[in-house]
Amino acid sequence: MNGAVPTTIIIAGLALAGYSLLMTALNRRMTVPLLAAVGVLEILLLVEVGLVVAKLAEGQRPASLPTLIGYLIATPIVPVVAAFWGLVERSRWGPAVIAVAGLVAAVLMVRLHEIWPIIHV
Amino acid sequence: MSEPAAPPEPAAPPEPRAAQPDLTRTGPGRLLVAVYALFALSASARAGVQIATKFGHAPVAYLLSAFAAVVYILATVTLTVGNPTARRIAVLSCSTELAGVLAVGTWSLADRAMFPDATVWSSYGSGYGFVPLVLPVFGLLWLSRWSKRARTRRTTVT
Repeated sequence: MNGAVPTTIIIAGLALAGYSLLMTALNRRMTVPLLAAVGVLEILLLVEVGLVVAKLAEGQRPASLPTLIGYLIATPIVPVVAAFWGLVERSRWGPAVIAVAGLVAAVLMVRLHEIWPIIHV
Repeated sequence: MSEPAAPPEPAAPPEPRAAQPDLTRTGPGRLLVAVYALFALSASARAGVQIATKFGHAPVAYLLSAFAAVVYILATVTLTVGNPTARRIAVLSCSTELAGVLAVGTWSLADRAMFPDATVWSSYGSGYGFVPLVLPVFGLLWLSRWSKRARTRRTTVT
């Protein structure tokens, strides 16, 4: 598996975090473009989960399968929960929640690689 | 018109109420709850996997992971609820958390043999970008703002 998808996720996650923090600094609320960006991140994460599941379906196994499965379940949930939690906040702290989701997405890719080095970053 | 002067309103503090977050889970609290929920999830998942698959390997570390998970869950829930009782419990869990990360952080550096595997609080949470060390401080700061506000509100009412 080449590392294009995880690398894209890391860059997208960090970019989203940076943009969101800028919105917080400028005292802006959640906007539709920000929500759309979270949607793009979610799609990328689902693609990555699909790629990892395909590896598992080929019969390959990481050192700790339960850990990997936990990450595969948690990963796509993070942006969804963050989008909801950010949307109900009608202040600058809504985008701040999205920033956390962006950072977490980037960190999760690094951790996935550590859990199963077959997943390149 | 010499209307008897209306009793002077006990001039409510001219706080713009809409701008002021009304709940511990709003405003900066929104971010705080989000990060706490994240740690509640990751600490309990980590402790669950560790205890279920290899408890004998590092029992002390894994039990501490589980304890940390419970504290994070408690803080998340009480910060979300935010009534006076919940705030008191939240102060308690944030304090426990701060004490825990300092104690376990020091312990893990002093006695590495006891921690063949890391906990959330090992080395003051360095594996988690030191967020476990910073988080309870922000939690307590946020909660102290609340108890201050409750006190001023009570004095202005009476």
